[in-house]
Amino acid sequence: MSRVQKYTYFPGCMIPFRLPHFELTIRKVLERLDVDMIADEGHTCCPEPTTFTGVDFEAWLTVGARNVAVSESTGRDTLALCSGCFHTLAIARHMIHSEQDIRERVNSRLKKIGMEATGNVTVKNILHVLHEDIGLERIKKQVVHSLKGISLATHYGCHLVRPIEATHMDDAENPRWMENLIQAVGAEAVDYEDKMACCGAPIAPSDEAKSFRLTAEKLRKIRAAGADAIVMICPTCYTQMEMQQKKTAEYLDSEFSIPVLYLGEMLALAMGMVDLVTSNSRRYHRVKIQSLLEKMGVGK
Amino acid sequence: MTIGGISSDLEFRNWILQQPEGQTLLRCYQCGRCTSACPVAEIDSSFNPRLFLEKIILADEALAEERLIWTCLTCEQCEVRCPEHVKIPQILILAKVRGLATGNTPQTALDRARSILRQGRTIQVSDPMIKTREKMELPDLGSPPVEQLTKMLTDLKLAKRLESTESRYGGGESE
Ligand code: SF4
Ligand code: SF4
Repeated sequence: MSRVQKYTYFPGCMIPFRLPHFELTIRKVLERLDVDMIADEGHTCCPEPTTFTGVDFEAWLTVGARNVAVSESTGRDTLALCSGCFHTLAIARHMIHSEQDIRERVNSRLKKIGMEATGNVTVKNILHVLHEDIGLERIKKQVVHSLKGISLATHYGCHLVRPIEATHMDDAENPRWMENLIQAVGAEAVDYEDKMACCGAPIAPSDEAKSFRLTAEKLRKIRAAGADAIVMICPTCYTQMEMQQKKTAEYLDSEFSIPVLYLGEMLALAMGMVDLVTSNSRRYHRVKIQSLLEKMGVGK
Repeated sequence: MTIGGISSDLEFRNWILQQPEGQTLLRCYQCGRCTSACPVAEIDSSFNPRLFLEKIILADEALAEERLIWTCLTCEQCEVRCPEHVKIPQILILAKVRGLATGNTPQTALDRARSILRQGRTIQVSDPMIKTREKMELPDLGSPPVEQLTKMLTDLKLAKRLESTESRYGGGESE
């Protein structure tokens, strides 16, 4: 009876090719919720917002605007799973939409390839889709395995949330949508100090030591709050805080072993799609999640 | 021209003011809240966003040559606390852009930019990556229309500038 809702999927580079289990789990979760993601071959790299901006901001804005124009041509809202991609598309859209001189300048370049961007398209991240479009009630109905007794710390990541005038998130300093999703699957959302602190990844190319000191600080505060695991959305934050978690030991005199789940994995587990998560966990989780799964009552 | 011991170049400041969000610089009254909110300033006292803005206000182009500007996370902790909503990380981004001419750009940033212009992606997509997607039954994403990027960006001459730029910044090897 329910109609399938369709979004244009903006894939970017990191998720589809480096961390495809993000895409896999969220696709299956969205399918359960009657939502479909459709990719468009016209999209390119967003481009990434942490270094390309500082090489040539105009080129960044122009390539971003081209991606916005491709999105506009699909006639659907765009869903960017990656926070970096979301940030770029949201800012490019916002600038084109709100500033006439930028719109004209950028469109004079797009014209050479027969395209135009107006900014009349909605760019969403996964929280907009889950929390605002689908809603907590519809999600709760699909929960077959409550994650009761599990405490989870959120890591939103900076670029998903700020600047608020472009991201249209709930709050720049204390967003709550991810906490609400955690509670919707029966788990407890734990608060910790400096929740919106950066993971450190953006400056890994320029100063690795500083970058990982910030990561270590962040992990220390999460551990102090006693979380069983961290839930996150951004593939860059994930690469920094999960794939390279061991590396932080060099910058703080203790080693961490905090499991990390992508938001799609958390939802898949609560919706009973355990195999989907475990079949890929060896490859994409350097911090073992086995004991977490056992605590959830889904370990084998 | 020298003001208070710094070399001053009004052209630099005027350029910043003409760039997207550059005008917000004029609202800064040097209160220093940005610095107290900044996580990088907390671990390195030589990183001082208030002082960076002061330098631009005084038109000190030397800021574009400072390695430190590339250790801004673009996290916007400063911006959300700034009473005047100055677009601080964006202004630092503009200073980074000016530094390209003399190579004050991390190697990885140059590599990523070259990769985006060459293949429309920041990473090299390998056969195993494509196989993994097939195994997961994820859709084929095709290849990005690179010719369109090249055509659209000609007036910016970025490809040419990248060809002649060598990073004197160094930094970590490209991923
Ligand atoms: S907080 Fe804002 S007004 Fe105060 S020094 Fe920083 S940029 Fe200037
Ligand atoms: S955006 Fe840059 S200057 Fe501002 S708080 Fe973050 S690291 Fe500091």
